Formats: sequence, C-alpha cells, structure tokens
Amino acid sequence: MTLPSATLLAQSALSGIFIGSLYGLLGLGLSLSWGLLHVINLAHFAFAFLAAYLCYQLASVGGVDPLLTLVLIVPLFAALGIAVQWLLARFSLSPLNSLLATFGLTAIVEAGIQGYWTADFRKLESVYAGEKLRIGGLFVPIPELITLALAVALSFGIYAAMRHTRLGRALRALAEDAPIAAAFGINAQAHALAIAGVSGALAGIAGVCLALSFTLTPSSIYAWVGVVFAAVMLGGLGSALGPLFAGAAIGVSEAVTMAVASPSWAPIVSFTLLIALLLLRPGRT
Amino acid sequence: MLEVRGLCVRYGAAPALWNVSLTIGDGELVSLVGPNGAGKTTLVNAIAGVHKPASGQMTIDGRDLMALPAHRFCESGIALVPEGRRLFARMSVRENLEIGAYRVAARIEREAAIEGVCALFPAVRDKLDHPAASLSGGQQQMVAIGRALMAKPRLLLLDEPSLGLSPLMVHAMFGAIRDVHAAGTAVLLVEQNVAMALDIADRAYLLEEGRIVAKGAASDVRDHPDLRRAYLGATEQ
Ligand SMILES: Nc1ncnc2c1ncn2[C@@H]1O[C@H](COP(=O)(O)OP(=O)(O)O)[C@@H](O)[C@H]1O
Ligand SMILES: [Mg+2]
Repeated sequence: MTLPSATLLAQSALSGIFIGSLYGLLGLGLSLSWGLLHVINLAHFAFAFLAAYLCYQLASVGGVDPLLTLVLIVPLFAALGIAVQWLLARFSLSPLNSLLATFGLTAIVEAGIQGYWTADFRKLESVYAGEKLRIGGLFVPIPELITLALAVALSFGIYAAMRHTRLGRALRALAEDAPIAAAFGINAQAHALAIAGVSGALAGIAGVCLALSFTLTPSSIYAWVGVVFAAVMLGGLGSALGPLFAGAAIGVSEAVTMAVASPSWAPIVSFTLLIALLLLRPGRT
Repeated sequence: MLEVRGLCVRYGAAPALWNVSLTIGDGELVSLVGPNGAGKTTLVNAIAGVHKPASGQMTIDGRDLMALPAHRFCESGIALVPEGRRLFARMSVRENLEIGAYRVAARIEREAAIEGVCALFPAVRDKLDHPAASLSGGQQQMVAIGRALMAKPRLLLLDEPSLGLSPLMVHAMFGAIRDVHAAGTAVLLVEQNVAMALDIADRAYLLEEGRIVAKGAASDVRDHPDLRRAYLGATEQ
C-alpha cells in the first residue's frame, strides 16, 4: 500500500467535513425529535428526500434558483412535521413504536416519490454545481460549501437558542421531566408541535442540500439512515452541536479511509465507531 | 381558597384515593400526614395538576380545576415542591429557578424573586450557576422550594420536604416553611415527620389507605387514636 500525498489526504479530509456536515444537518432534526420528543422519526429521511425532489422539480423544471426554493420548502416541511407529530401524539407511542410508525410513513413517501418521479436518477444541474473555489491546492465545491455553512449556522443557532432563550429552557425542562415542567405552566403539547415544526423545517433544508450535491433515487433514502443514526447517537440525543461534530468526525474518518485503504471500507468506519461507543458507554441511549 | 370534594384518583385500574375531601383557607398551614403508601403524594399531585383524578371536584376560589389542562393549574397560584425534589438535573440552579417563574406574570419580577430565594436560603446564592445535580440533598431541597416560590404561589404544596435531610437541615427547612407561611402563603405540608408537621400546622388531615380518617385542629389530630394506630399499629400490642 502506497501512502497518498499530503494534498490528496487534505482534499479527502475536506470532502469528509463536507459530507459530515450533511450527516450533521440531517441528524440535527432527528436528534431534537428523539431527545426532546422521544420520537425516533425515521420519516425525517423521507421528508428530506421529498424536499430534495421538490427542490429538483422547482429548480430544474421551473427554473427557480435552488436556494430560493427554501422559501417554500421550509414552511411546507415545518407544517408537515407538525402534522405528523399531531398524529403521533394522539396515540402516545413508545419510542420504539414511533420508529415503526415512521418507518411505515417512510415507505409511503418513498412510494409516492417513485410514483411521481420514477426510479430514474435525477440530478439537479444548478448554477452552483459547476462552480469551484480553489484555496491553496484544494478544490472547494460551492454546493458543499453552502451545505457546510447552513449546517454550522443552524447547529450553533439552535444550540444558542436552547441555552439562552425562554423557549429553549422550557424545552430542556420538558425533556427532563415533562409533568413537573407542566406544573410550572409549560404547555407540553404546544412545545412538542414547535419542536416537530423545527425538525420538519430542518428536514426540508437538508433536502435542498441533498439536491444541490447528490443524484437522487427514491431508494437512496435508506443509504443515509445508518450513518446519520451513528452521528446522532455519537453526538448525544437532543444535542444541537453533537450531530454536527460527530457527523464531521465520521465523514472525515470515512473519507480518509477511502483514500488510504479502499472505498469499500468506508461504511465500516461509522459502524465501528458506533458499536465501540455503545460498548464503552453502556446505559446511555 | 382550595376546596377538594369527593376526589377519586386511580393509577390505571388501581384506586389510590377514595372520596377524599379537603379544604385549605387563605394563608392557612395544613398538614397532611399518614403512613407510607397512604396516597399523600397522589393527592398533592392531583391538586398540582400532575396527575388527573378520575372523579370528584376541585376548585380554587370557586374556579373549577378539574377541567383545566395540567399547564394551567399554576395560573391559580398553586405551586408544587414534589416528592424527591425532581429538579431539572442538567440545568443550572438559576435555570431551575427561572422555570419556576415561567409564567409571564411571575417572569417580570424574576430577578427580585431569585434574590428573595437567596435571602431565604443563603447557601443557594453561591450555587446559582452550578448544575442542579451537583448540589447536596439539602441544597437541592432548597432549590425545589425556591423554584416553587418563584411562581409567587398563593398555595404552596410541599411533599416530604425533609425526606433524607440531616436533623440540622430539617430544622432549617421547617424554619423556611414557617417564614413562607408567615408571609401570607397558604401551605399544604405532607410529612413523615408527624410531630413536627402537627406542631407547625393550624389544621391537619390523616390519610390512610386512600381515605381521610381524621381531620381537625392539629392538636386534635395528634391525640386521635387512628394516628397512633397508623404509625404504631404494627408494633403496639
Ligand atoms: N405511578 C404510580 N403507578 C401506580 N401506582 C402508584 C403510583 N404512584 C403511587 N402508586 C400507588 O398509590 C398508592 C399511594 O401512593 P402515594 O400517593 O405515593 O402514597 P404516599 O405519598 O402517601 O406514600 C400506593 O399504593 C402506591 O403504590
Ligand atoms: Mg409520598
């Protein structure tokens, strides 16, 4: 095995950070709903893909700037998130049952996407896709840079809001002991809907990022589940910054593994990390 | 101010309270005593909105509580110091206190209220920015009481505030309860420490197996044969 050059390693690490920031962005909404609502929302991935296809449709067919589609997608997916939570809340499901219920929802959304857009590859040819910055010896693709910027801004923004706002405090109190929080006047149901709305909006934003950088097929929804779950669990449930950092760590390990070993080794990295973590920190879920 | 009439509470199918009636007047200090498992926590939690009763009536100043969702009980001036404290462990002491003043009405004066809590419990002042979980049991109990006081309650519900505390700390806790009462707040005090609870109270109720078996002036309940039976029955031959 020959060692790759420093430039190749640096380029790999950079692309790892980029893909890791998308893991983090996808994981952020998942982590909030899991940690704060105790809902393991598998449909988060399906919604992200639905948003990605919607962005593709509006941009490719409608000629809209892909980033401008956020104006429609963010409120639409916030509403979708709220609607799903409203339905789930009517059945007061355990986390495991919420996983099963949202798995069903994922299959429905996947079938819907396949029905409308077919199973063919779809790739958004946006104005951003051709652009590349060159910094030092490294290539920096613009779509990935946009994803990174959004992931960082949203993760840190939500982190700050959770710590420093009245709403954030109320959400943390509810996550720790909902009945006692309610006894002090915090409306658990309303806050759950708010979290679900934020989480849905995040799925929409992650979907736009997906459309900017990736070729879409309906079945590739599932390709993201394992690695994003790993990022969420590594980062800590309910944590706003955790998924971003854990996602970046996984992304970089994957990319460097690909560069020094072979691409087929990459998926093993995140799961090895996840299993190691679960073994080293028993009792944590 | 508080009127509970014919209250029945169940956990699933298992009944915990039967036909319980209890009143608390403005600014009154009422003790609720009874052996373990009698249903004291169940009653207090029902009054705070934490657990929904199966049937009965609860009113505060004539306002119906039974129809309210849990988060609206505190609007009537009810604040709970729950059994086992139940602080938000991962939040700082200050944040715990701020949750106490979550309601808009209490929120406006929250800085002054935090100052008031620190005046009542000086040990809390140095701990404001520490995680609640890092405090000793006694300090956590102070924060739990402080959190409830932040809501500016007219009726304070205290569920076993002396549980697990050192005798010195128990003494301090009762002193603080006396201060709160003296300032005009009505108090419902649940205590295993019956002697102290009856000492401090105007009136008292004795709860046994989900039913009120004695009530009246604290001194009368002290002499009630059921009280002796409830606490000594097993050992007294
Ligand atoms: N969450 C619960 N689920 C089921 N049963 C409970 C629950 N909490 C209390 N109980 C039962 O209700 C009865 C009264 O309990 P509790 O109100 O805690 O009594 P006390 O506070 O007087 O010790 C007991 O028989 C107890 O086992
Ligand atoms: Mg109890």
